[in-house]
Amino acid sequence: MDDLLYTGFLLAAKFDFDTVRDYLFRDIIIKAAWRTLYISAFAQIIGVAIGIVAAVPRHLRTPGLSQLASFYVWFFRGTPLLLQILFWFSALPLYAPDDFGWWIFQYRHDWLLLSPFQAALVALAVNEGAYMAEIVRAGIESIESGQMDAAKSLGMRNLQAMRLVILPQAFRVIVPPTGNEFNAMLKNSSLASVIAFNELLFTSRGVYARNYQVLELLVVASFWYLVFTTVWTVIQDEIECRMRPDMMRVGLITRIKNGITPPSRLIGGDTGGGR
Amino acid sequence: MTGTDGGAPAMVSIQDVNKRFGRLEVLKGVTFDVARGEVIVILGPSGSGKSTLLRLVAHLDRLDNGRIYVNGHLVGYEERNGKLRETADRAASRARADVGMVFQRFNLFPHLTALGNVTCAPVNVRGLSRKMAADRGRDLLRQVGLGEKLDAYPSQLSGGQQQRVAIARALAMDPKVMLFDEATSALDPELVGEVLEVMKQLARGGMTMLVVTHEMGFAREVADRVMLMDGGVIVESNTPADFFDHPRHDRTKSFLSKIL
Repeated sequence: MDDLLYTGFLLAAKFDFDTVRDYLFRDIIIKAAWRTLYISAFAQIIGVAIGIVAAVPRHLRTPGLSQLASFYVWFFRGTPLLLQILFWFSALPLYAPDDFGWWIFQYRHDWLLLSPFQAALVALAVNEGAYMAEIVRAGIESIESGQMDAAKSLGMRNLQAMRLVILPQAFRVIVPPTGNEFNAMLKNSSLASVIAFNELLFTSRGVYARNYQVLELLVVASFWYLVFTTVWTVIQDEIECRMRPDMMRVGLITRIKNGITPPSRLIGGDTGGGR
Repeated sequence: MTGTDGGAPAMVSIQDVNKRFGRLEVLKGVTFDVARGEVIVILGPSGSGKSTLLRLVAHLDRLDNGRIYVNGHLVGYEERNGKLRETADRAASRARADVGMVFQRFNLFPHLTALGNVTCAPVNVRGLSRKMAADRGRDLLRQVGLGEKLDAYPSQLSGGQQQRVAIARALAMDPKVMLFDEATSALDPELVGEVLEVMKQLARGGMTMLVVTHEMGFAREVADRVMLMDGGVIVESNTPADFFDHPRHDRTKSFLSKIL
């Protein structure tokens, strides 16, 4: 009985805060966290761009393009992200067409031999694009048809009306779910560990494979994921506030910035900036 | 009965226009001309096809039969070997720019200020410099009594103010014709007057106007001709005095008896 209690105590005590503290800011972890951050941001930006390009023809019912976009969304939303990562990294190079040149264009088969980073980026971005296409489409459809009527009656062409009138309004609707997507992206990027892209989770696993301090390293990784998602929440709120200047709500970042500004400049009226 | 005087070409010519939505025939052969500078008020019960007619003149919908000319140009279609083809996006939008339209629900762009609403199309469609468009936009907003509200967003304006911005926005494209689709129907009663005042001012300035409204006072005072539309056809068309005081058709009499 005593023995068992003692063992239980040992197990609990085995969680070593010192290891966590040691690794939290260690170069290898910081670099890996940085890679997680930039592959996520990069993939999300490309995903948003793909989403817009795929959503607009679907909304305008452009023949050909619309069907192509629908197929794209159907396929990449319908298969697992993990599978897609394996496809870009492992399958694509095997079936790459032979080298050829045509006029000034050259193609070499090893261009499709992607590095872990490239394959992960392509996989995450293309997958994200399919989800973003649906979000952007929902955003566009939430804008009442009178807006398109007004834009057209002012002589705007379809794409002009989209760019100047519909999309800026749709973005207000699109930002919250896109923020949600980026939150998911920060964590989904860890799937790239299966093709040995050395992001945060892959690196943490590498460390505990050597020192066996599994839980400690997982806590270290969790810490950084939580830092990213928390900071992102604040940034997202700031973006949402700034997109609605008519709502007069001020985001945390602006509030802090204004707090730093000397009060005299706020009260002092038109003498502002007289330093 | 034709509005053209002395053979001058009509500003708007509507010729035997048909429009159906599915099985419902909304317009059943509408024909009339609008002379340069003429103000026509179209009355009629809801569902009679008034708004649809305006939308066809603005080429927001496609017509099924007949032709509409604005300033001598066929709206939305081009004629080749006697056959009509819908014009491509680019040409259609160019034609639309000649027709200004004011909507019942204002349809201001909520993400732009009053001035932004007025300058958006001149800058991006007409290619005006930002400065020129802003100068002209300020003038127009002053004309409609909103010189103080240049930087207000639509959500910060009353309905009457929003509709006046919408009128200024349409005028900024220098349209040849202005269409008003129940421009005061969504307004609180006390805000109707300020919008009607701007419309009267426009009419006095010689703008060609096609006005769908329920404002009988406006029709009587401003219109050159008043029309009653019912069941997709023009039932009666006359000068305001004759229309209101000596209606010829029974349908007009019964309509007026319910309204006045």
